[in-house]
Amino acid sequence: MLLSTHKKYITRFFYPLMTCIFWLIQPKAMATVTLFSDTSSITTQIHALQFIEKKADLQQSKYWPNVHPIAFLQNLKKNIEHPLSLYEGSSTNFCGYAALSYLPLHNDPLGYLRFMLQLYSEGKAQYGKENFEPSKEVMQAAGTLSFKGELDVHPADQLWFLALADHFKGYVNFFDKHYDAGNENTMWASVNFGKFNRMIRKLFNYRVTAVGSDLIRPDIRDVFDYLSERIKTGTVALFVNNLDLYKKNHSKVKLMIPTHYVILLDIREVGDKIAITYWDYGGKTLQIVSPAFLKRIVFGISYITPKNIDAQ
Amino acid sequence: MHSKFHHILILLGIISACCSCTSVKTFTTNYYRENEKTLSAIESSFKKSYEQKAFSVGFNDYSFNYISLEIKTDSIKYIYEFEIHETRLQDSLKKYQMPAEAIMDLIKKMRSIKCTWINQLDYYSNEQKKSLVYISIHPVHFRLPFTSEKYFILTYYSQPQYFDNEGVLLASRRVRKLRKINGDIFHRINDKVCYTISESFR
Repeated sequence: MLLSTHKKYITRFFYPLMTCIFWLIQPKAMATVTLFSDTSSITTQIHALQFIEKKADLQQSKYWPNVHPIAFLQNLKKNIEHPLSLYEGSSTNFCGYAALSYLPLHNDPLGYLRFMLQLYSEGKAQYGKENFEPSKEVMQAAGTLSFKGELDVHPADQLWFLALADHFKGYVNFFDKHYDAGNENTMWASVNFGKFNRMIRKLFNYRVTAVGSDLIRPDIRDVFDYLSERIKTGTVALFVNNLDLYKKNHSKVKLMIPTHYVILLDIREVGDKIAITYWDYGGKTLQIVSPAFLKRIVFGISYITPKNIDAQ
Repeated sequence: MHSKFHHILILLGIISACCSCTSVKTFTTNYYRENEKTLSAIESSFKKSYEQKAFSVGFNDYSFNYISLEIKTDSIKYIYEFEIHETRLQDSLKKYQMPAEAIMDLIKKMRSIKCTWINQLDYYSNEQKKSLVYISIHPVHFRLPFTSEKYFILTYYSQPQYFDNEGVLLASRRVRKLRKINGDIFHRINDKVCYTISESFR
């Protein structure tokens, strides 16, 4: 009887006590788990180069029949050694994918390499929160794209861009979701601003603060101040009107929509003008523009920062 | 009555399409014939200056008064805009050790024939890197209402090219596939010069 009462007390107090203990411990434990699993991966160029050296015996993939293993490895190595040389190809719609590649190639080259090698060998792979299983048409096309300048001889870049375009879909891809030959130049490969930011968050687990849109410019009084503040602490990607930035329009009526992504590397005042240095098309460009011109061409600004322990 | 009206509309459409095709073709042939000497001089002058310093130059306004000059170095590309008579232009050319006089003469020649842009483009044939000179001209004459801007593009190659029976540029002798430059199909003017009509000038 005494034992029975004792057991009853134990039972009565044991579960609430355990619940209290668990409740007190759990948030901390969960916070710890969240802290580490939610941290952006950071690796170095040296680690990535050491890793790729061990993969010299890479066999021809049965999934990517037109991507030769030696050319594939050479291309990956070049991207790790010279991350700014990544080129999206002429007349393609791959600029969004090329711009976001700046992040893994500079901050997590090993993560990028592991993904590329797994995707090549197994035909599927996980990157961040995304499981990639490219379509057969895309697997056939990688390595065969031609008349795109240097992209012609970069099969790994073709594979990377095609896999990204095949996997991520935005509203601009609504009418053309299935890859057909030549679609790298069409809406199939297009990247709207929302899709661009979503890709960065999901693939690389970065914090992205975005202002602007696909049609309306961001409501920022001083674009120079806004950009120069953010570039000090993070990566800044710009969604710009390419017709104004590069392809000057000789007609009197101009179509004012953004079509191109660049990574802003530097911005400074030069007299009453602004010198912007940005990365696109496999190289750095320095251009002197007026404040009004800068405001006119920028439709979207993505301020990208890694998630780390301090950030929590 | 209703169907008769439709027939007339279709007929007018066909006639206007034929006229526009003919006028474009005539324009390209005539334009090249009339300006062949100037175009060849522009191409050879550009190639010579390019050997000293990689660059591209073009007019970026409707009235051909402002130029965009791109100077390419190993690490960075500089883009500047100048009014053609500005002293800053010559100063910048000298600063980058470019042949200022030759480039000023090139700009003058380009302006005289409404040449919008000149650049050197790299392309790959059998995995070998090659280059061509890309010239675009702004033919204000043949613009139809409600149509987008069109440019007359000329490409100059170092070696003779391969063409099909209709004079369309092919990828190579072995690969009987059409070669595209900036997404456009090109046609033969002679063995080393091709043309196309394009919506973009570069």
